[in-house]
Amino acid sequence: MRELLRLDGLSAGYGKARVVGDVSFSIREGEYCALLGLNGSGKTTLLKTICGLLPAQGGRCVVEGVDCTSFHEHKRARRLAYIPQRHSAMDGLSVLDVVLMGLNPHLGLLENPSKAQRQACRDALAKMGLGGAAHRDFGRLSGGQQQMVILARTLAQDAPVMLMDEPDSALDFLNKHLVLKNIRDLIHAEGKAGLVTLHNPNFALTYCDRLLLLKEGTLVADVQMRDSSVQGLEKALSDIYGDVVILERDGQYMVGLRPARCPTS
Amino acid sequence: MPVAPSEPDAVRAVRRRFAWCFAAVGALAALAFLFSFCIGKYPLTVEEIGAILFGGEVGQLKRDVFLNLRVPRAVMSFLTGVGLGLAGSVYQIIFKNPLAAPDIIGVSSGANLGAAVAVVVFGGSTMLLASSAFVGGLLVTFMVIALVRMTDRNSMATYILAGVVMKAVSESFIMMLKFFADPEKELAAIEYWSMGSFSNMTASKLAVVFPLFAVGLAGVVLLRRQVTLLGLQEDESRMLGVRVRGVRIGVLAFSTLMVTSTVCVTGLIAFVGLIAPHIARLLLKRNSFPVCVFASLVGGVILLVADVFARTIYSAEVPISILTTLVGVPFLLYFIMRRQGGDA
Repeated sequence: MRELLRLDGLSAGYGKARVVGDVSFSIREGEYCALLGLNGSGKTTLLKTICGLLPAQGGRCVVEGVDCTSFHEHKRARRLAYIPQRHSAMDGLSVLDVVLMGLNPHLGLLENPSKAQRQACRDALAKMGLGGAAHRDFGRLSGGQQQMVILARTLAQDAPVMLMDEPDSALDFLNKHLVLKNIRDLIHAEGKAGLVTLHNPNFALTYCDRLLLLKEGTLVADVQMRDSSVQGLEKALSDIYGDVVILERDGQYMVGLRPARCPTS
Repeated sequence: MPVAPSEPDAVRAVRRRFAWCFAAVGALAALAFLFSFCIGKYPLTVEEIGAILFGGEVGQLKRDVFLNLRVPRAVMSFLTGVGLGLAGSVYQIIFKNPLAAPDIIGVSSGANLGAAVAVVVFGGSTMLLASSAFVGGLLVTFMVIALVRMTDRNSMATYILAGVVMKAVSESFIMMLKFFADPEKELAAIEYWSMGSFSNMTASKLAVVFPLFAVGLAGVVLLRRQVTLLGLQEDESRMLGVRVRGVRIGVLAFSTLMVTSTVCVTGLIAFVGLIAPHIARLLLKRNSFPVCVFASLVGGVILLVADVFARTIYSAEVPISILTTLVGVPFLLYFIMRRQGGDA
C-alpha cells in the first residue's frame, strides 16, 4: 500500500514555546490511525501543524511524496482534509450547500461547481445515508446527522489524507460509535490515510488500525492493532494513562484503570 | 440515522417559499417605483408616465420632472437600499454577528468625516462633498484593514476592534470640525448630511455613482461562494482551501465600495443595512447567498417607500434616517424578543 502522509521530524508549538518535538511517522492508504495522549500532550497542536493552521517549527509534512509544509491554504486543501472538533454553526444553509463547500479546493476563486461536481456531492451524501436530505436546513439536523454531512463534505473534498480532531466530541454514545465506524469504513473503502485524535481510548482500540501515543510532546509508541495482544496494548497504554487493564470481546475494547491506581482528588 | 427520502416535498416547499417571496418583493418594488415616480411636489399620473415613456403628448415640465428628478431619485433610493441590504447581509455572515452593519468597520463614520471636511475646509459644493465622503469612507476602511495587518491578528474580532478605534478617531475629528464650523450654515450642513436625504438627486450624480456601485455589486456577487465560506470558523474555512486574509479583504473592499458609492451622495442612512438581512432571513428561513440577494431587494423597497414618505409627510423634506430609524427600531425590538424566545 502506498504511503500517503509522512512526517519527518516535525516540531510544533506556539510562538517560541515548543509543544511537540521531532515527530516522525508515516501513514499508508486505507490506514486509520488514532493519536492518543492526555490533555496537554500536544495532540491538537500536532494535528493543526500538519494541517498548516500552525506554522511548523521544524521538519516536514509530506503528502504523496510532496512537501506540503509551506503550501498555501488552497493548494494544501487538495491534499489534506480536516474535520474540526466542532464544526461552525451553519444554520440556514442547505445540507447540499454544506457539502458543496468541500469542492472549494478544486475550484477557482470565482468558479462555480459544475453539474457533475454537484452530482458527486449528492452521491457523497447518499453514501452517508443522507441522500434524502440534500435540501434540508443543516441547522435542523441532529448532531450525528450533521457530522455525517461534514464527512460527506470531506468526501467531496477528495483529499488523500483525512485529519480529524475529536470528531466524536459533541455526540452521544450511539452516534460516537456510528460516526467513528463510518469514518473507518470510508477510509478503508476510499483508500485514504486517516489520523484522528481521540480522548477515549476505547473508541481508538475498537475502530482504529493503529495507535500513535503522544506523551509530553513526544511520540512514545506506535502500535499496530492487528499485531498486538491485549497484554501488549496494556503495556503501551500504561505508559501514558498509568496502570490500565483492557477487556476485549468481539473486537470491542474496554480500557479501565486498575482500582489501586485510580487517581484520587 | 438515514433520512427517509421525502426530499421532493421538502424541495418543493423551499422552492415555493423562495418563489413567493421573490415575486412579492418584486411586485412591491414595482409598486414602490410607481409611487416614487408619481408622488411629489409636481404630481404625475400613470397615464402621463406612460406617455413620456412611449412618446405620447406631455408637457416639457412634466417630462423634465420625470426624467431629471423622479427617475434618478427613485433609482438612487433603490440602489442605496440594495447596497445597504446586500452589504449588511455579507457583513453579518462574515463577522458572524447578527448586529453587524456596514458601519461596523467604520465606513459610515469615515464618510461622515469626509463630508464634514468638505463642508468646513473646502466650502462644501455638492460634488466635492460626495467625493470627500467617498474618499473618507474608503480611507477609514483601508485604515482598519491596515491596522489589522499591523497587529498580525487576522481574526474578525480584530476587525471589529479596529473598526471601533477608527470610528472613535473619525468621530473625534468630526467633533473638532463641528467646533470650528460656522453654526448657521456649516454645522447645519454637517448635521443634515449625517441624516441622509435623496433630495437634489440628479441624473448626472447617478451617472457618476452607478459605475462605482456596479463594480462593488459585481465583486460581491462574483465572490458569493467565498462569502459563505468566510462565514465558517477561520480554521474550518482555511482547511477548505480559502485564502482567508486576501479573500476577506476583497469581500470587504467590494461591499464597502458598494455602500460608500451611494452613501457619499445620499448622506448616512440608518438601520437599513441592519434590518433588511433580518427580514430576509425571517421570511426565507435560510441564510444562503440568495437570501442576501433577497435582503438587498428588501433594502431597496424600504428606501423607496421611506423616500416617498420623506417627501410627502411634511411641507419640507424629512431626512431619510428619521424614517428608517422609526421603522428599524420596532423591527429590532421584535428580533430581540424572538431571540429571547429561542426562535432566532
